[in-house]
Amino acid sequence: MSKGKILVIDDEDIVLVSCKRALLPEGFEVKTAQNGIEGLRMLEEERFDLVFTDLKMPDIDGIEVLRIIKQRWPGTGVIIITGYQTVDSAVAAIKLGAYDYIEKPFTPDGIINAVNKALEDRKK
Amino acid sequence: MLVKKSLHSLTGKLIITIGALMVVVSAVFWYFLVQRQEKELLGNSVKYGSSFLNHVKESTRHEMLAFQPLLVQQTLEMLGSGEGVINARILDAKGRIAYSSIKEKKGVLLDKNEMPCISCHSKPLERGEMPSWVVNRGKEGYRILTIVRPIHNEPACYTSACHIHPKEQKILGFIKADLSLSVLDETVKKQKIAITAFVIGFICLLSVVLCTILWKLVSVPLSMLTHGMERVAAGELNYVVEIKTKDEIGELAKAFNAMTAELSIAKEELIEWGNTLEKKVEEKTGEIKKGQAQLVHSEKLASLGRMAAGVAHEINSPLTGIVTFGHLLQKKFSEGSEERQDIDVIIEQANRCSNIIKGLLGFARATSVEKGIVNLNDVINSSLNMVSHKADFFNIKIVLNLDETMQPIIANASQIQQVFLNMIINAADAMEGKGIFTITTQKVIDNGKPFAEVIFTDTGQGISEESLPKLFEPFFTTKPVGKGTGLGLAVSHGIIQDHGGKILVRSKLGEGASFFVRLPIYEG
Repeated sequence: MSKGKILVIDDEDIVLVSCKRALLPEGFEVKTAQNGIEGLRMLEEERFDLVFTDLKMPDIDGIEVLRIIKQRWPGTGVIIITGYQTVDSAVAAIKLGAYDYIEKPFTPDGIINAVNKALEDRKK
Repeated sequence: MLVKKSLHSLTGKLIITIGALMVVVSAVFWYFLVQRQEKELLGNSVKYGSSFLNHVKESTRHEMLAFQPLLVQQTLEMLGSGEGVINARILDAKGRIAYSSIKEKKGVLLDKNEMPCISCHSKPLERGEMPSWVVNRGKEGYRILTIVRPIHNEPACYTSACHIHPKEQKILGFIKADLSLSVLDETVKKQKIAITAFVIGFICLLSVVLCTILWKLVSVPLSMLTHGMERVAAGELNYVVEIKTKDEIGELAKAFNAMTAELSIAKEELIEWGNTLEKKVEEKTGEIKKGQAQLVHSEKLASLGRMAAGVAHEINSPLTGIVTFGHLLQKKFSEGSEERQDIDVIIEQANRCSNIIKGLLGFARATSVEKGIVNLNDVINSSLNMVSHKADFFNIKIVLNLDETMQPIIANASQIQQVFLNMIINAADAMEGKGIFTITTQKVIDNGKPFAEVIFTDTGQGISEESLPKLFEPFFTTKPVGKGTGLGLAVSHGIIQDHGGKILVRSKLGEGASFFVRLPIYEG
């Protein structure tokens, strides 16, 4: 039994790989999607405890993904990762119900902490 | 001064017109005067002639009644010798000369066309005491008055002893006299000459007077005005026509002077406009050039910012990989091992990259951060507090000239602090740990709007002329590699511009530098 099911949506392979390598050894189940559409399709198929999504993606952006997740699967936590943080986008994300906001580049410890915190909060 | 003297001039025309009029009027006047005088004189002559004929009649009456022809002849001769009498005749009823003051004419029958026969033989004889008369031109050049009166029959005549004249005969004969009109002619001639002379003299005098008046009143002032106009036309706008009369010409001159004065003022204004226009055009051109340069500069910075943002976004993902795998690898080697140290370098450098990118993003961010009322002096004090304890500032004298009456501005305090910190740190770097650092705040007017100005003046190495235009470009730095990112001023520039302000620099190599940060004053 894993500590939690996590979906990472990002158009950059290296980010997906980094998340996997950071979180898998910690006992999380990690799946990845290359874009927002694929991510949402995977969410249809199975339930995830936590979703990491990039803000800027080619098809639909992270804010849109966040909105859809919060509409259809309100129990799923969302953490935004972005390489280009602006106050506006952060405010918009938090207003829409994002749990946290992580800037690239992140460290393995940084992302593990964020996941642990989010999952712990969910349990409460 | 040139005055027109020809007949085409106003004076000439007036004189010709008036002269002609006067000549005509005078001629008419002269004609009627002479006619009237002559008529009067002639009338007098006729009266005189008539009384002469009466005298002849009365003188010869007695001799006639006594039938003494010799005595009649003698009396007639005596009377005929009087002054102005050419001859005196007594004619019988048939026109034959009965007696004559000139002897040889006696007995000659007068022509029917001659006086007095013509009077009866051309038309019915007018019965009356008044004699008929005629004036003829004589051979000597003067005129001759021929005057005739009939001798009517009367009781004494037909009752006389000689019984020559029957009672039925109405006219017994005629007395005819030729009287010389030379005296009258002479008088008339003299009067004609006198009147002519008078008229000519009068015309001449009038002409001279008129000429003088016209010359003085019209010609001279007009030529002065013409001269003035020529001078003004030639560009001499301060020329004044000196006519001080109070007539229409004087008023014209006054108006002319006023006009030239106005012209002069207008011309001066035009010239001044021309001059200032050039200056203004130069100024405006300069401003436009400056504005254009600024526009190009900010456009350049903006596009650089967009590029930086794109680059930052792209680089952050690979950096995530480097940092993550670095950290993962790091855990596999014991602390202090050579591998661990190498990996630490990788992570450290990756973090440095990350910091550079954060700076870039700060520069590129088109921020619409929350702004509030900010007191610039407070921001300066808190910024100084943050750095003054650092070793770099131990030997730097910090001077504050803060305007305590400075009005607040609308800004994001932390961004403004970021800018000020950047200025302070740059100054410290430039001074290399020693010197005087002055911060001044004051109010200035820029383009008619009030600005709060903060001046950061250091006594450092200064900025070279070549570096000045590139100062606000991202990645431009004069600091040693690794010490500055070249983003501080670029970010500051972006922030101040976002606040509606501007940053200006004044510096010379070796003479320190002054940075002027201007932010609009809150007037609400």
